[in-house]
Amino acid sequence: MRCERCGAPIGNKIIRYNGILLCEKCARDLNVEDPFRGTAMLGQPFSILGELSNALMSASNDLDFANANTQIRCPRCKTSLRDVETNGAVGCIECYNTFNETILKDILKRQGTSEYKGRKPGTRADIDETSAVKDKPETEAPAKPKIEVQPSKPEKKEAPKATKADLLEKIKKADLGTVSDDDLKEAMMLAAKNEDYDLAVRLRDELKSRKGDN
Amino acid sequence: MWYEKPGKDTDVVLSSKVTIVRNIKGFSFPAKMSDADRENAMGMIRQAGGNMGFNFIRCDEMDDTAKEDVFDQYYCKYNFLNSEQKTAFLLGKKEGLGVLLGDKEHISIVSFVSGDDILSAYKSAEEVAENFEKEMEIAYSDKLGFLTSDIRYVGTGLSISFLVSLPGIEKTAGALAILSKRAEKYDWQIRPILQSDGNKEAGMFEIKSIATLGVSESDMVSRAQKVIADAVKLERSCRTNIYKKKTLIVEDQFYRSYALLRYARKIEATEVLNLLGWLRFGLDNIKESEVDLDWDTINMLTHKVRRDYTAVDSRGRKNAASAGIRADKIRKALKKDNERG
Ligand SMILES: [Zn+2]
Ligand SMILES: [Zn+2]
Repeated sequence: MRCERCGAPIGNKIIRYNGILLCEKCARDLNVEDPFRGTAMLGQPFSILGELSNALMSASNDLDFANANTQIRCPRCKTSLRDVETNGAVGCIECYNTFNETILKDILKRQGTSEYKGRKPGTRADIDETSAVKDKPETEAPAKPKIEVQPSKPEKKEAPKATKADLLEKIKKADLGTVSDDDLKEAMMLAAKNEDYDLAVRLRDELKSRKGDN
Repeated sequence: MWYEKPGKDTDVVLSSKVTIVRNIKGFSFPAKMSDADRENAMGMIRQAGGNMGFNFIRCDEMDDTAKEDVFDQYYCKYNFLNSEQKTAFLLGKKEGLGVLLGDKEHISIVSFVSGDDILSAYKSAEEVAENFEKEMEIAYSDKLGFLTSDIRYVGTGLSISFLVSLPGIEKTAGALAILSKRAEKYDWQIRPILQSDGNKEAGMFEIKSIATLGVSESDMVSRAQKVIADAVKLERSCRTNIYKKKTLIVEDQFYRSYALLRYARKIEATEVLNLLGWLRFGLDNIKESEVDLDWDTINMLTHKVRRDYTAVDSRGRKNAASAGIRADKIRKALKKDNERG
């Protein structure tokens, strides 16, 4: 028997998650928490991740999150998911579609964002050469592309039902620590629907880390 | 050689380096390329490079002197120069500017400038990248930017780093943590440099960018300037501070180190770097020093000892011999310095 995510042989512990057969390592990666501790866990702890992956899977886009689970090798260069995870390298451009989820997760873990802000091919970067010499005071603190963006607001509960668009905007700017679980969950679904996977994954991670706190 | 040119802040910063990686659309990345594709891609890059004024050399056609030269000047890895795969190199357009072909990515542009001057290093590299982008179809997506084999570089495909010597920070409790925090704020990292034998190079560090997404090229250049300015300032104040508190020890170490380097008949690389660190401590602080020494010599020696191809090449077999040759070269360099003064 082989793991349907990475293709590694599966030992004597069989872990099924969302209908997919996983090896221990993948189960850990996917944060399938301690799947061996009896069935009490089985019902609800998975629901958050499940919701998200369902939402992500149903969205149709070139970022095809569903692929990572079923397709083990890149159809073009035959690189396997395991290769990508162990080497941190892919074999061809098609790999970016095949292993989208893994790559995006890796990027977000390391860089906190996956938004491309660089120049377009064949153009030049717009570099302010004067700033090099002048010791200008640090007006703009360098944007730390991790989670917190604004000073946390004291209010914990959101005011009356904000519209969905409002909720997303608010959450993008807010310190995630101050947002309630329910709002996070809702925003996560919205973000996924809007194809803002960057935000969706951040919210998912925030929710996951809360689960860990308890 | 680019590293023999005068530079800014060379008491702390040995070099500024910019790497830009690009891949050609329609080909797999080098690790998964067929031989036919590899030849094909090489041909395209060779032609584009030729138009820019580069010379094309295949690594397996380089003699030892050429390899040594590329190893020394462009920090190519031993494995790249002696790879089973068909690797090649573009050089000859400008000192310190080269292009590795068929390493992890199709095209890796490297640009070195002596001392602290990331802007010119960046501009030289960007010009080459821009030309390649105009002459051939480059792997690029609007969402993720330039696509690379190594996932760490997807985005701008740009990485910026400085080679710095920080003996003052290293010997000051807590200073490295402070600098490291500063760097983190900009999403940069600082890490000690390890020789291929796993030994730490005394006082030598690399300060390196991490982000390739969420930042523009100009963000990265301006962050680079801020990070390195912080490092230089902190290192200088640590050196001065230690000198003030432990004058006798620093002066004693300075002269002892000089004497060892000046007269030793065989010496290991790790020891040389350690001794050079003490010279860095003393050079600006000791007034009316009894030896004639300048930053260019210290940096040239640091560079030569770090980039010793023959030492890597011999893989330990000729270690005793290379320790002797190393000592000879250092002795000559220091002697010349003294005679000139
Ligand atoms: Zn697995
Ligand atoms: Zn592929």
